[in-house]
Amino acid sequence: MLDELEKGPWPSHVTELKKGQYPIKAYARGLGEGLSPWFGGSARIRCEFTGFIARRTKDGQQTEVHFRIYHPSGQFYRTDELRKLLDFCDKFGLGSVETVGQTGDLVMPIQPELADQAVDELRALGTDIGGTGDTFRDSAACVGPALCEYALFDSLAARDYFFRYPAFYEKLASQPFPFKIKLKFSACPMDCARAAHRADFAFVGLWEGAPEVDPTALRAKVEAGEVSGKDLAARCPGKAIRWNSSTQELSIDGAKCKKSMNCIRQAFPAIKPGPNRKIAFMMGGHSKGRSGPKMAKPVALLDDWKSAAEFMDRVMAHWSDRSPHKDRLGDLLVEEGFEKVVDQFKEHLPVEPAGHVVGAPRIVNSSVLTDQERETFAAWADAIAREYEG
Amino acid sequence: MSPTPASSAEVRAPTYRLKKNVPVPYTQNLPDIVRRNIGHWTDRKYHGTGIIEHISDTGDHLFTVKAGATPNARFSTETLRKFAQIADDQGLGSLRFTRSGSVEILADSLERALAVKKAVEEIGFFVGGWGHTLWSVNSCTSYLTCTTAVVDAPSITQALYDQMVPYFTGEIPLPAKLRINVAGCPTACGGLVADIMLAGHYGAAPSYDPDKIRLCLPTNAKVLSHVVPEVQMVCPVNAIESFARPDGSVGINIIEKKCIGCGRCKDVCDHITWDPSKVGVSVLIGGKSSNTGVGPTLARVLVPWIPVRPPKYREPVAVVRKIIDVWRAGAKPGERVADYVNRVGMKTVFEALKVPVGLWNRPAELNTGFGVREFLPR
Repeated sequence: MLDELEKGPWPSHVTELKKGQYPIKAYARGLGEGLSPWFGGSARIRCEFTGFIARRTKDGQQTEVHFRIYHPSGQFYRTDELRKLLDFCDKFGLGSVETVGQTGDLVMPIQPELADQAVDELRALGTDIGGTGDTFRDSAACVGPALCEYALFDSLAARDYFFRYPAFYEKLASQPFPFKIKLKFSACPMDCARAAHRADFAFVGLWEGAPEVDPTALRAKVEAGEVSGKDLAARCPGKAIRWNSSTQELSIDGAKCKKSMNCIRQAFPAIKPGPNRKIAFMMGGHSKGRSGPKMAKPVALLDDWKSAAEFMDRVMAHWSDRSPHKDRLGDLLVEEGFEKVVDQFKEHLPVEPAGHVVGAPRIVNSSVLTDQERETFAAWADAIAREYEG
Repeated sequence: MSPTPASSAEVRAPTYRLKKNVPVPYTQNLPDIVRRNIGHWTDRKYHGTGIIEHISDTGDHLFTVKAGATPNARFSTETLRKFAQIADDQGLGSLRFTRSGSVEILADSLERALAVKKAVEEIGFFVGGWGHTLWSVNSCTSYLTCTTAVVDAPSITQALYDQMVPYFTGEIPLPAKLRINVAGCPTACGGLVADIMLAGHYGAAPSYDPDKIRLCLPTNAKVLSHVVPEVQMVCPVNAIESFARPDGSVGINIIEKKCIGCGRCKDVCDHITWDPSKVGVSVLIGGKSSNTGVGPTLARVLVPWIPVRPPKYREPVAVVRKIIDVWRAGAKPGERVADYVNRVGMKTVFEALKVPVGLWNRPAELNTGFGVREFLPR
């Protein structure tokens, strides 16, 4: 079974895992049985309550302990630093790394008997374990101004700020919440950090009104054949762009602009985000939770990210007070009413709440089917598979 | 862990660990060229699908080369050392990991970026995944570490990638960006913001290990009069009920008619189990995170269940290929799956794929207007 997974052209995780000491036999058995081989295990690391996860196989023959390690914002590494981390992994781990886990962290399987010592060695490298259980998960930011010309605020600095914000920082080492809490920062509406869906508190860069057009620079791009004014107008999702082909002039109606970034990405910097920059602050998005996956809801348009901290702290305290274990913040907002919760804590915001909530039905991505239904769908899939075999 | 064991009087709890050593500020990790150009980038040029030239108003040009990650971004330290060596030899001695775990190596000229690309390909990795390509297949860990996984996402991802290299490298052009997520269970850690998404699930209501379920319940039936066991409480549709037996022990019922198969009970109790012969993946389409086109949307169910058979995963791979082909044939340039589905209507897509419609996959239209659009004037 495992060999089959190494035969294709794409580099295989199995090949990579085999180079280290990861308990690959357990994985092979899982694939053979069609069941995950892992049960919850236990490991004891002194004074550590978040940041590591222990597993054991059902028969207890194999164990697996892994660290969740904080990445620096932007996940940049100089090679000398990276090699230190890899040396650490070879010494204390199993020679295997998941470069970015689903929460955005660095995942590293560790030798259980060395785990306690490993924590101190890792701290000496300038980072730490954290982000498991009912606490702040590793927050995530898009690459922002470090590499991207569209950044409307410093998403990386914002992540750093909340890492160290005292009321949040003191909770990193414990599990004080009903469930996980995630913060994500995207510096423009492209939302590369997937903040609007995957974060309990989301910060997305935005501007008010129309994008700013530099007519001279735009004309130069049009004349050079790099940009077509007609095409920009046709592809604008808000139909906000008017292109006057005789005067070669472009105008944008700010009230209709959907901030889709289409014209900006085509014609930057001749067309760029408007000067009135804001941060769209949203809350309650998540994939995992009682009431199903959902998008975040709009709270306020902020001038800076710092001004949201007090409001966030109060809302999290309220959530901890009200919600049962394994209910996300988004679940509480469904239960109590989003507007009601915002209203209760809006005095801690520097501005009046803004935005309107778009409702959506619950999404269920699983199903409970009869044998006959499964057969129907299996037959449909089989027909398609034959098409591609033929 | 000192070499000579400390006497018990000398042992101190390492309470300093309660103050996490967080890796801030981010600027300390940046290579010089990035640090001096923060906020100064003014333009970018694509050189193929795997190299971006970043142009700064300071006159600097920086090239980034993207190498696609293995499924679940699992790398050996040996391979990562090879990437570090490439970054030293051909690049600027610096690299970053993308949000999908891909490796982005930094270089200071196109010539050197092309040398990075060549070296990356020589160690068996592909360069690509920007522009109108398959950006990445995001996979959770599943059978590698996870207790709740129903199917194994990394091996499904492997099977998909093996068929889709030309979509990643740009050899076969796509209408727009394509992101595929594979999740081992309905939790879908990676989120529903993927153009095409596969999510593993039981295909039926779960059951439980009758001997061990007691480990997830109170030992004494009397407790049930004032406590709801967690395994019951987490169920979003009240499909689990607990009861007391005459002998004072406690048990549960799973009501199949109510169950939606979400797996939250398994989240809190290891002894919830299921029939491996009934598991499958649901196929969802139309999710996306960016505000382009119709804006961010969550993917919706196209097919509620198809069988999974490792290691080839014949059916899921074929269905994903078919969806891509329908999208390629019908989409206008620049239209992501969500934009295409929104324009032609979900019903049309169902018809094009001849999907049998049932209770769990009504052709519901995508909901739009989310994210920053919720702040715009209506």
